[in-house]
Parts: sequence; C-alpha cells; structure tokens
Amino acid sequence: MGVTLEHDEVHGAEQGLATAEVSGEASISSRRTFFVTAAAAMVIGGAKDAQAQSVSRTGRRARRKLPEPVRGVSLALASAAAPPDAQLAVWRDPVGRLLRRANFGITRDELVRAKALGFSKYLEEQLRPSMIDDRDVAAFVATNYPTLRMTPEELYGADQGKVSNEIQEATIYRAAFSKRQLYERMVEFWSDHFNIDRDKVGYLKTTDDRDVIRKHALGKFPALLKASAHSAAMMRYLDQPDSRRGNINENYAREIMELHSVGVEGGYTQQDVNELARVLTGWTVSGRGIFTYDAQIHDFGPKSVLGKTIPATAVGKGLAGKGEADAIIDSLALHPKTAHYIAIKMTKFLLQYDPTDAMVAAVEAEFTKTKGDIPSMVRVILTEQNLMVAPVKYKRPFHWAVAAVRSLGPSVTSVSLIRGLVDNMGHSLFSWETPDGYPDKMEFWSGLVLARWNAANSISSQTGATFNFNVTPFVGTTAETGAALIVDQLFGGEVTESFRTRLADFLRPAPTNTARVREAVGLALSSSQFQWY
Amino acid sequence: MAQHEHDTGCEEYNTLSRRAFVGAAAGVAAAATLPAWLPKVVLAQSASSRDIIVSVFLRGGSDGLSMVYPFTDTNYYTGRPTVAIPRPDSNSATRGIALNGQFGISAAMSSLVPAYQAGNLLVVHGAGLVDNTRSHFDAQRFIEVGKARDANLVTGWLGRHLATSTPMRSNAPLRALGLSQGMPRTLVGAPKSLPIPNPAGFGLGGSTTTRTERSAWLRGDYEAVDTSIGAPALDALNTVTLLNNINFNGYVPSGGAVYPNTGFGRGMRSAAALIKADIGIEALQLDIGGWDTHSGQAPAVVNGNMARTMTDLAQSMAAFHADAMTGGVSYRVTLVVLSEFGRNVRENGSQGTDHGRGSCMFVMGPGIAGGRVMTNNWVPLARENLESGQDLRVTIDHRDILSEIVARRLGNPNLGVIFPSYVPTVRGVTL
Repeated sequence: MGVTLEHDEVHGAEQGLATAEVSGEASISSRRTFFVTAAAAMVIGGAKDAQAQSVSRTGRRARRKLPEPVRGVSLALASAAAPPDAQLAVWRDPVGRLLRRANFGITRDELVRAKALGFSKYLEEQLRPSMIDDRDVAAFVATNYPTLRMTPEELYGADQGKVSNEIQEATIYRAAFSKRQLYERMVEFWSDHFNIDRDKVGYLKTTDDRDVIRKHALGKFPALLKASAHSAAMMRYLDQPDSRRGNINENYAREIMELHSVGVEGGYTQQDVNELARVLTGWTVSGRGIFTYDAQIHDFGPKSVLGKTIPATAVGKGLAGKGEADAIIDSLALHPKTAHYIAIKMTKFLLQYDPTDAMVAAVEAEFTKTKGDIPSMVRVILTEQNLMVAPVKYKRPFHWAVAAVRSLGPSVTSVSLIRGLVDNMGHSLFSWETPDGYPDKMEFWSGLVLARWNAANSISSQTGATFNFNVTPFVGTTAETGAALIVDQLFGGEVTESFRTRLADFLRPAPTNTARVREAVGLALSSSQFQWY
Repeated sequence: MAQHEHDTGCEEYNTLSRRAFVGAAAGVAAAATLPAWLPKVVLAQSASSRDIIVSVFLRGGSDGLSMVYPFTDTNYYTGRPTVAIPRPDSNSATRGIALNGQFGISAAMSSLVPAYQAGNLLVVHGAGLVDNTRSHFDAQRFIEVGKARDANLVTGWLGRHLATSTPMRSNAPLRALGLSQGMPRTLVGAPKSLPIPNPAGFGLGGSTTTRTERSAWLRGDYEAVDTSIGAPALDALNTVTLLNNINFNGYVPSGGAVYPNTGFGRGMRSAAALIKADIGIEALQLDIGGWDTHSGQAPAVVNGNMARTMTDLAQSMAAFHADAMTGGVSYRVTLVVLSEFGRNVRENGSQGTDHGRGSCMFVMGPGIAGGRVMTNNWVPLARENLESGQDLRVTIDHRDILSEIVARRLGNPNLGVIFPSYVPTVRGVTL
C-alpha cells in the first residue's frame, strides 16, 4: 500500500502557494509587502494575459471538448500546450521523460542513476518513498525548521514570521534535495488540490501540511480526504467553525464536493450543498487549532444528501451526530465521480494539460479497482507509452526554481533566497487565496517571465556562504565544450542543435571566464527550453 | 454583434449604454484579438476620448465615517466617544473641514479640499458591496472580480474592461500595470498587463556590461519558439525598453505637486510619470493598506494610526490631482478609490472599530461631476437605521459608480461582461 511516512522525517511542507505574512487579519497588501525579504531588491515582472487567466479557470471547471485546438491566430488563447513539437522531438530518452515528470527537473546524476536502474525500477523506487533513505534531508529539516514539529499550541506562541518562513523554506528545501522526488511532486499536487491560504489560517497550515498532505501524498485517497476533513486548518480556511444549527455556512460543504471529491460536475445540487452543510454542523475547531466535534451546534433534524436520507435523531452529546458526516465523506471518497475527477486532475498534473479520454479512463479504472490507491494511479499515468507522446508542460515558478537549484547543485545552508525569488515570480507558497489552488496553466504563468529571468541570473551568480553555486564543473575549455557541460547538466543532454549553438556563441568571447559561464548558465535557465518539462 | 442588452433591463441604463456605443467605430478587428473566453462583445471606442483609469484599493476595510463624516448627526458622536472627527465648527485643533452643511472631511485629508472645490472630486457615501460578507478575503475578491459569490469568475472587472476594448495605442507593449507585488486581481484578465512594483527598476538584472547582449540572446531564443511562450516574453522585453526610456528618478511633477515619500506616494508619482510618458498605458492599479483599525484607530489625533494613513492617501491623491489632472494636459484621467467595506458606526472596547458595511468611495478627475457628497437616502445613524443595528447600510452599489465610469469615461459598453448579472443604476458620477 501507499506510504504513510513516519513522523520523524519528512513533514512539513508542500508547495503551492503562500507568502508569508502575519496572522489573521493582515491585509493582503501587507502580506505582499511584509515578507519580501530576500526579494526586495529584485524586480518583478510578469504578464498574465487575459486569455491565460480565464482559461485556467474555465479549463478546470468545464472540460474543454474541442477535438483539436485550432492552430492559428488565437493560438495564444488555447489552453493546451501549443508547444514545441520541436522540444518533444529532442527528448528521445524515455527515462529522461520520466525524470522530467517524476522529478523537479532533470539532473545528470539522477539521470545516470535512473538509467542504470531502468524505467520501471526507477518508478517503483519512487513510488515507495518510505524505502528511500532520505535521512540527510530529514536531519536538515529537523535542525533548521523546528516549527514544523510544533503543536498548534506551540505554533501559536511562536514567532509567526518564522513559522511562515519555515514552512515555505522546508517545502523548497525538500523539493530541491529530497531523493523522494515523486513524493515531493505529489505533495505539490495535493497542496493545490486541498489548497489552504496561510493568509487566512496562519500557522495552522503547518499542521495541515504535516498531518494531511505529507502524511497521505502517496497513500490512499479516502484516507487523505478524511484527514483533510479533520484538519483544523481546512475547517478554518473554509469557514466551517462558523456553521451551526440554524445558521449554516456552506463553504466547506460545497468545496469538499466541488473541489476535493466529485468535482463541479459531480451531480450535486445547491440543495445537497445546504443539506451537507447541515450534516457537517458541529465540525469545528477549538483551542489554538484542534479539530473538534461539538454536538451542541449539530443539527439533529432529518436531512437528505445526494439521495441519501438521514433521519432525525434525538439531540445527543459527545460524538453523537458526527457519524452522519463521516458516512457522507466515506461515500464521497469512493464515489465514481470522484474516481473520474481525481483521475483527470492527476493525469493533467503529472502528464499533460489535455489528456485523452482513454488515458483518463484507465486511471479512473485503477482508482476504482484499488479504492483510490495513489501510487497505483501514478503507475498508470507515468507509463513509457504515455510519456513518449505527452506534449510538454510549462514549469510553474516553484517548479522552475527548484529545478534550477537541482540543476546547479549549489552548497546550501539556507533557501531563503529561493523563497524570495518564488515570491517575486508570483508563486508565494501557501498564499493562493481561493480554494482551487494555484493554476497549472501555461498561460497563467508565462507572462511573469522577467521575474524568472532575473531569478535565473540571481541563482547562477550566487557565491555566498549560505547559497554557493560552484561554477567550476560548468567551465569548458572551449565554447563548445562549455555549452555541452551546461546542456548535460541542465537538460539531460537533450536540446535542439540551434540552442546548443547559440549557447556556445554566447560563451565564445570568453569560454573560460567564470563570470561569463555564470551568465550562460543564467541564460540557459531563462531559455524557453528550460521552461518545459 | 451580440451586445449584452439582456443584462441591462433598465431604461436609463440602456440610454447610457447606447450613448457610450455611439461613435465607437468598433466591432471590427475584434475576433483576432479577443480572448476566447469572452462572450461576444462590442469593442469599446478606440478614440483618444477615452480616459486613462487609475484604480486604488484601500485594503483592510476603510472607516468611511472617519474620512468623510456626518458632523450634524449626534448619533455619530455618541457612538464614537474616542473615534470621531470633531465638528468643523468646533475649536478642536483636529477638527474637520465642512464639505457641505452635512458632511465634513477629516483634517488628515484636508489636502483634498482644493480638488473638491475645483469640482473634480466626488465623494460617494454609503457605498460598497451589497453582499453582506464581513470577511476581508471574500469582500475584496467580490469587489475586484465585480460579482459576489461566483467561484467561476476569476478575472477582474478592470481586466475585463481592457479585454473588451481596443488598445488606446495600437501596438502598445503595455496597456495596464499593477504597481504592486504580484498581479492585483482587479486587473487579472487584462491583455498586455504586468505587475510592476517599481517601474524604475523593471529591467533585466545582472551586469550592465552584458545586459544588452543577454537581452538580445533572450529575444532570439523566444522569437524562435511558439507564441504561447514567446509572445509574453517579447512583451516583457519590449516593456523593459519602454520603461527604461522613462526617467522615473528624475521625474519632476508639474503644478508644484509634492508626493509623500511613502510607498503609496511613490506609486502615485510613478503612475503620473507613466501616464505622462504617453506610452499607451491606459489602466493602473494601486493598493494602500493599513485600514484594518480594530484598535487605537485615532483618526483625529495628530500622527494617530488612521490619521497617518488618511494623510498618506489624501496627499498622494492631491499631488496626483495637481500633477496629472490639472493644467493643459493632452489626456484625461479618472481616479477611483474604494475599500472592501466600512466599519461599525459605534466604536469597540479598544478605541477602534470592527468590520462593517458601507464606506465611502472617492472618484476624481476632470470628467467627474465632483464637488459633491453623493448619498442615497442617507438617514441619521441611529441604531434602528443601521444594518444589524450596527452598520452604515450600503445604499449605493459600488458597481453603479464603476459602471458609469466604464461606460462614460472609458467608453466601454460591455457592462454585461464587466459586471456580470448586474443592472447598474446611473447615479450621475460623470459630467
């Protein structure tokens, strides 16, 4: 079965979104300005095209049925990857393709190791993260990010800036250095699926990341859904504590169906949302952030949700009435619509923006067969056959930044630099406001390119004590050998010939000059080719 | 050409809509540039008669009753023993200034009086969201996207305005920007728009010696790839060139304007510089925070918490008015200022005010019917007149104000797209 990581090692982060901030009430602008820290000097760039945004949302909500996007003028508006058949053509190695999807960026060492293992063995290894020795990363995290282990009570008393920075930096550090790369990718996925905005819940995101997302990222979906439903952070994020008998707040009731399980086309009605909200009354938060069931505010009247009738019961105490929602959540977790919805989302995330119906059907069937076993679904998605035809995807800023770090292999004692750069690129971890999570659409992100270029330049020029990029392994004796070193390290050796030539051309005036090489590396990270995976 | 008449049942509104449409040589050339997600729309006027818009969001829920206050209402003073602006006719050193016989503006905002007297500044009171959320999170979102409780709507009202209008300058690399860290939701959906917190610093980092060379390398790289990724990259490169030609640091405001040296003041100064540079920018969005005054509000204390924030806002607006809205300028600008909600009429136990409902908006510009405090059935702030017994009611939907600006100042008739499912009431905001 999947993997339920033990408490000692990993824990902590995820990816997705947030910026730091203050706790409860701080305004958005204060959040944006407060913790720019490392970023302050950097420049932000970025354009989100109209097209971009909307497609990102509508694309998710209403599945596009266009057989084949019309290629032509309005191309930039299409949701699918318009890209680079040329890019695809140069990625001939199936193991390389697997690494690009299952890792945060391809590195030469990991490519060599994966090739030695072979496609299947590598994938199987990655699907069992608890069997991968990752103690160095666990030790670093334990030492440097102590707030990740804290209880809500302890977190409440801690420095909130530190709490915020640590969850973000731990997420970045793990994504960059953990050997459990596929696991970290799934943490990224679920962090968006079960999005929580730190601006609203503050330190509680730290507990959700640890006890929900990271605990079940490669486990069973029903357990994950149930854990999320018992998360104080999620309760607070979706206003569940405000919901009580006679005065319901439907926010969580709606989202657990619309976003977490059956999907917006899951066949429920507004009446179902209202009724489920009644069923969920009593699910709340106490103390500094402990999930609690409070029978005193539960609605014991008769209810009907998704065709299922719940008779009235006598007003009770203790856990009386809680089982009503438990039963609904259990049935949502394994609902056929959930199988479909999760299959689509996972396939889109791991494989391609517009998967075929057949691909999704296979994943959906696996969900049904294995009762939502996440590794089993991943196995059906990341097949060699699928990977060899999947169009490329565009790295989101977090993905891009982590890939850059992995490619360069710096000596690192702090990733605060990267946190600031990710903020600058518009992808502040755990800061996406609405419960749908950061979009995974090329058009949403592709306008923020200047910030990305400046981040590339920043990373490749680091020589400081806390983040040192040793450029020596990238320095060749000639422009051509130098370009080859960069191409091997950053691209698994697979680029177009014209790209290789242009990189060499840039190096040519001074191929052994380290400042020049650093700039060439920065350009390579900025190049269109490094944006795809 | 399916104009969204069906969204607009009101007779008065239809007149407005038609009038805005007249002269719009529009409609042509639309298909190729309009985002696919938009319903069919009529392109807004492309003529230079359109205003440039500057939109300012007061983040945190600004206490409208401390900015512009009903000094003749005794309920105001009894409900706010420590959080009230002294009457204009009092002897207090921090008394406000009467705007008319009923409303005064706080002393901290006195720098706005000249614009008001010039007829360029309109105050709209009791304005806000009809939806009664008191969550910052929801209220900001609802206002910025232009509709409450619609999870499918993720683009901003101003973004949709730009998406449904032809560029004021064809081929402008940049039509809109958020002077903010990250793209403000109000602008999401706008073509050719960027979040640029500091326009003076928008450029490629690294060695200045190699900058041109690296820039050229990147241009070559992105020119050779698919437009999906290439076009925005080239837009950014072109914008760099554009902004680098503007001497922000050496910018000298006209009209003797002096912007406060605050984040917001510098932002407004940059906004003026960008507008005057005449590079085709037609919308700017700025934020100013610090309005969530649950305790120690002190709006009428020299250097008090809210007094400082109001001073910053007012001085920046006043400087912008002198700099960019007066004198012989070849463009016209409309500035609109709003917040997600106001605050309770009665102060709380910590000399502050909690989240409320109606607040006040400001609209400024040469095309605005200013010099007035606009209200709709304003009543004394007695408990029985308040929403939930505690709040100034929202009697003017903020979308009424924005719709009229969009239709009449920005020349865009597509209100059904910009404010979906809403039929605005014309309030007479514009000249």
